[in-house]
Parts: sequence; C-alpha cells; structure tokens
Amino acid sequence: MTRGTLIYIGQRVLLIVVTLLVVSFGVFAAVHSLPGNAFISEHLHGAALASVLHQYGLDQPIPIQYWNFLKGAIHGDLGNSFVIQGEAITPLVLRELSVSMELGGAALIITVGLGMLFGVIAAMRQNTWVDYLLTTIAVIGYSVPSFVLATLGILLFALALPDWTFSLFGTAIGYPLRWQGTYGDIVQLSLPAIALGFYTSGQVTRITRAAMLDVVQQDYIRTARAKGLKSRVVTIRHALRNAMVPVTSILGPLVVSIIAGSVIIENIFGIPGLGKEFVRSITSHDYNVTVGVFTIYTLLIGVANLGVDLLYTVIDPRIRY
Amino acid sequence: MLEVKHLSTSFFTDDGEVKAVRDVTFDLFPGETLGIVGESGCGKSVTAMSVLGLVQRPGKIVGGQILFKDRDLTKLNSEELRQIRGRDIAMIFQDPLSSLNPVLRVGFQIDEAMFAHDKIAKEDVPERGVNLLKQVRVPDAQRRVKDYPHQFSGGMRQRAMIAMGLSNRPELLIADEPTTALDVTVQAQILELLRDLNQEMGTSIILITHNLGVVAGLCKRVVVMYAGEIVEEGPVEQIFESPQHPYTWSLLRSLPRVDEKRHERLKSIEGLPPDLIAPPPGCKFNPRCPFRIEKCFSEDPPLEMVGTAQQAKCWVTMKRAYAEMNAATITDTRPGAASGVRPPAELLQVVADLRTLEEPEVLETLAENPQLLEQMVSEEPAALEQLVADHPAVAEKLVTEETAAAVDGAAEDEKSE
Repeated sequence: MTRGTLIYIGQRVLLIVVTLLVVSFGVFAAVHSLPGNAFISEHLHGAALASVLHQYGLDQPIPIQYWNFLKGAIHGDLGNSFVIQGEAITPLVLRELSVSMELGGAALIITVGLGMLFGVIAAMRQNTWVDYLLTTIAVIGYSVPSFVLATLGILLFALALPDWTFSLFGTAIGYPLRWQGTYGDIVQLSLPAIALGFYTSGQVTRITRAAMLDVVQQDYIRTARAKGLKSRVVTIRHALRNAMVPVTSILGPLVVSIIAGSVIIENIFGIPGLGKEFVRSITSHDYNVTVGVFTIYTLLIGVANLGVDLLYTVIDPRIRY
Repeated sequence: MLEVKHLSTSFFTDDGEVKAVRDVTFDLFPGETLGIVGESGCGKSVTAMSVLGLVQRPGKIVGGQILFKDRDLTKLNSEELRQIRGRDIAMIFQDPLSSLNPVLRVGFQIDEAMFAHDKIAKEDVPERGVNLLKQVRVPDAQRRVKDYPHQFSGGMRQRAMIAMGLSNRPELLIADEPTTALDVTVQAQILELLRDLNQEMGTSIILITHNLGVVAGLCKRVVVMYAGEIVEEGPVEQIFESPQHPYTWSLLRSLPRVDEKRHERLKSIEGLPPDLIAPPPGCKFNPRCPFRIEKCFSEDPPLEMVGTAQQAKCWVTMKRAYAEMNAATITDTRPGAASGVRPPAELLQVVADLRTLEEPEVLETLAENPQLLEQMVSEEPAALEQLVADHPAVAEKLVTEETAAAVDGAAEDEKSE
C-alpha cells in the first residue's frame, strides 16, 4: 500500500467522522423535536412527568443533551434505552447489527453473485432466448420492490405451500415469528435474503451485461483468443475481470439500497436486527436508540463506500489514489 | 507451409453482406516474410483474422480453404483451432496499449500464452517469460514482468506483445500493423527485431501494414489488396521497381520521399474505397483509376502473370499505360485522365475534379459535355452549388429557365431545412 493510498484513507476516515457528527446531530435534533415523549405510555402528567424528564436530562436544551450524548458516544457508550429500562444501547445495537449484517451479507452475495452470473451469461448469449429471459428477469427484479417480493414469498411458501416447503427444507420458512434464535438458520435466512437481494441483483445483471458486451469488443480479448486460451479462461480471467470495474462502481449505492431495504424486510420477517429496532425506537420515542441506530447506519455506509473505493485499486491497477 | 485458396469472408450486417475478403489466394513458404498492404478497410486484417479463425459474428468465412501444413483450418472445430492459435501460428496486433489486458501483469500475460499449450514445460515458463522479454530487448526484464501494461511505454508494450507471440516458438507469426502506433525510431527497432527473429529462428512472418516503407524494410514478397481482393502480388523489389496495377502505382506515388528534388504536394489517391456491400461492377478500382478503359466498367479482370513471379489484376497494367500515353512519367492522375472515360454514376467525383481546374477549363469541359450540367442539376444540386461558388461564371451556363429554377428550388429547399 502506497503512501498516497494511506493519505487517501486518512482523508476518507476524517470525512466519515464529520459525516457522523453532522448526521447524528441532525437526527438527535429531529427526534427530540417530535411531539410526544418516551414516557407517553406511562400516562404521566405535570410534576411527575417533569421529574422523569429531569431524571433523564430531557429538560435540558438540545445542544447540551447532544453534548452529553457525544461525550458518551466517543467512549463507545450510546446511552441507555428509555423504554427498555436500564438497557445499554451499545451492546444492543451491536448484537442487532450482527444479525442485520448476516442478512445484508447474504443479500449482497445474492445480488452480486446472481447478478453477475446472469449478466455474464446474458452477454455471452447476446440476442438469444437465454439473453432475453435473463434480461427480463432482471427488469422484473428491479421493477418489483423487495417488500412486494417478500410478501409474495411468504404467501407462497408459508401460506400456500407450507407442507411442501416443510418437507423440502425440514423447517418452515419466512413466516413472521418463525425466525428462531438470534441468527435464524440458512433456510430461514434464504427467503428474506432473496427478497432483499433480488431487487438489486437486477441492476447488477444489467450493468454486468452491458460491461461484458463492451469488454468483449476490446482488442485485448482478441489478443487473449489469439493466444489460444480456452474460451472459459478468456471470459472469466480477461473479460469478467475488466467488466467488474463498472460493477464495482454501483456496489456503494447497492449497499445503501440493501441497508434501506433491510429495515422493511426485517419488519416483515420479524428478524431481530437493526432495522426492526430502528422502527421500534421511532414509534416508541426511544430517542437514544434511534440516534444510535442511525449513527451505526451512517458509519456502515461510510465504511462500505470506502471499501468499494479501495476495491477499485485491487480490480484495476491503473487506479491509484 | 501456408496456402490460402480462394478465401472469402463476409460480414452479415443489417445493411447487407459486406464482402470484406473475396477470393483471396496466396501462399507462404517456411521462413518467408510476406507483406500484405492496402489502405484501411481493404480486407488485409480480416484475411489474417480468418487464418486464425478469429473472425467473429456477424463475420464468417464463406468460402475457400486455408491449408496450414496440409490441414484445412476452415474445417477444424474450435478446440483444434485453439490448439493451433498461439502455438503454431501466433498473431500480434496493432495498438499495443489496447491489445494488452490492462488489469493483468505483463509477465502473467506472456506466461499464460505458454500455459495454454503444452509446448513449454510448466516449470520453465516463469524463467522463459523473463528471457523472452530480454530477447525482445526490454530493459530490466526481471523486474518488468511484474509491471502492468500502463507502466510500459508504447514500444515496450509492442515488444511484450512480440514476446508473447514468440513464447511458444510458433512457425508463423502474423503481425497486424505492428508499428503503426509507434514513433519512427521505435518503429525501426521493432522491424529490426522482427527481421532478426525471422533470420535467427526461421519464423515465417506475415506483415500486414498500410505502410509500403515497412514492407520494403522487412518483406521479400508483397501482396497488395484493394476492396477485399488481391490486385497485385510479387517480389518486393520488382513491385517497387515496376508496379503493374494502377493502385499499387498510386500507392507508391503517395509515399513521401526524402530524395525528392523539389517539395511537391503529396499525391494522394483521389476518392474513397468502394462500398463493399454494393461494389461497382467490373474492376473495383475503376472509380479511382486514372487509366480506366470501357472494359473496366463491365468486366472484372483476372489476376494474371505480368512478369516473372509477378501477378496483377488489371486490364490495362502500367506497362500499357506508359506505352499508350507515350510518356516516361505520368502527371495527370485524375480518374479517367488517360482514357477519358467518365461514367455518369460518378458525378460527385466529376464535380470535385472540375473544382480543381481553372475557370476557362471548367467552362470548356462543360461545353464539351452538355448533359453533364443537366445531370448535376437533377442529381447533385448541392455539388453544383459548390462549383458555382468556386466559379461564378458557371452560373451563366445555366441558361435554360428550367435548370435555373431547379437550382433555385434546391437552394430554397436547403434554406427551409
């Protein structure tokens, strides 16, 4: 790794920190400005409410509250939940993050794996029925939102064909509340991961196909064929490697799209991840959790984008920072 | 060693069949250097690609045989062809930047050519890769094998390409414009390198180029192609000394010469190569040929012997052209200058010719051919307008009201557009 790359990484990390500060303050200010408060279900009024608010420091001005939050956050302490009494937020969101990463990772594998596979095959069989079939699937993919696909999946596997599904996988899949334990298992993971990843895989298919069609026209592909390389080697080593550059460029937005999609998917499938927590914390005015989850999301997106930019240099040696 | 017989390759496009190579026949002996020359789009690269079976859809070899050591390459399946490519016949390409894979190390790209065939023992490959780069005179080869193509200069990339081509000790090396993208000094070095390889290793070379100087520097024999066909073929000295096809003659005249006493304008060949979907009837070169005769428009000449080991595809040939014009040198090279045959289909060319003349001559020509003006009015008003712009006196020739009105009409049409 060159000095230039290290400087570049340093700059990007700094940028991520600045983004975290701006986003967390914005969210902090926003959630605290919402009408109502975390103790609404306890039906407290007047002096009782004021004393509870005072106890949690919620009667102080927002900049002061944010400052207190920030002091903790720097030490990795995101504070305590208001709703789940005394629950520390940091371990909570970290555990939920790992669940979401499991789902998101599986979805990303489906997105990139399926997308690139379809894209390469479609390009290699350009203008044949295979190409038309795969590009049609891709168009359906990015036209059908993930929550629609998730709902259809549940209808099909959990409600219409539960016996068939059960005999095939040995377990029920997809139906809310059937998610067992913290991490579920591979069968339970499959449906939400497909629902989440299929949408974005359509975009990967489209980009891969276009990139492959462009790359196979290049002179170096002709050189590779003239060398007497097997066509499989030409396709994978020479063409796909180059076609991955444009695919990498959409990987950043894809990660964001998967994170956004996971909020909905986790709620549909009852997966105890960050997304589910996110929605719960907002509806129950659990301010600190909302801010914590949002901060983690911001960090995740920042790190993912940095990772993608560094991946460029691995795939294309001409790119140097 | 290599015999190409009646090879025809076409590209099937939406506009029709582009006959890029038609009925091309030539052969190559072991250790020989053959040049294939012609301008862009004349089919020289497609011929080479056909030999290696590298023509891709919508292109297809539609006829003929390519015999390499008595095997017909057009009959082989893709795996058999793959085994010959890079192993027995290697090819190097024009632009060494775009022809090397940008994301793979140069050394790796050379090594994989050897790994693809079993000719070189696997354990010898890495060392041979370095030695090949040394052999093609890449400095600091040991370190350079780990570089990527963008870290190489243009000349070094071409050397790396050649190293790759030679890695399996092929019997035939096809070099497609190997020096075109390089500057002159590097060009000379690459040619010298190819010459050494030919002499030291006995590798046969087919050199494809549009540059006759390059052919002169390397090849023993030359094939001249025009519009997908061989128009002349023979030993290099002989062809340079006395070209018999007007196209070869024109090509040679268009070479800049250092020893020229006076600096004249370079003589280009006027006009453009024909449309390969619907080429002109008769000889394909007739629209641009200074020496064409009636027969050239109707009948396609065969490739015939015109001297010792020299063949040309022409009804006239330069011998006859010189004789009939009673001249040691020929100065007027406008199409049809010798025979005066001016086919009506080439109005554009005629107008272009007219524009180069002085005004009295233009008027004289128009007076000689009264139909010409009418034709221009009806078929090429835009070209006529240009002519009028150059020579206002021509406008006065448009005496009849009809023709004048037609020109006005055309002009107004253009304005309204």
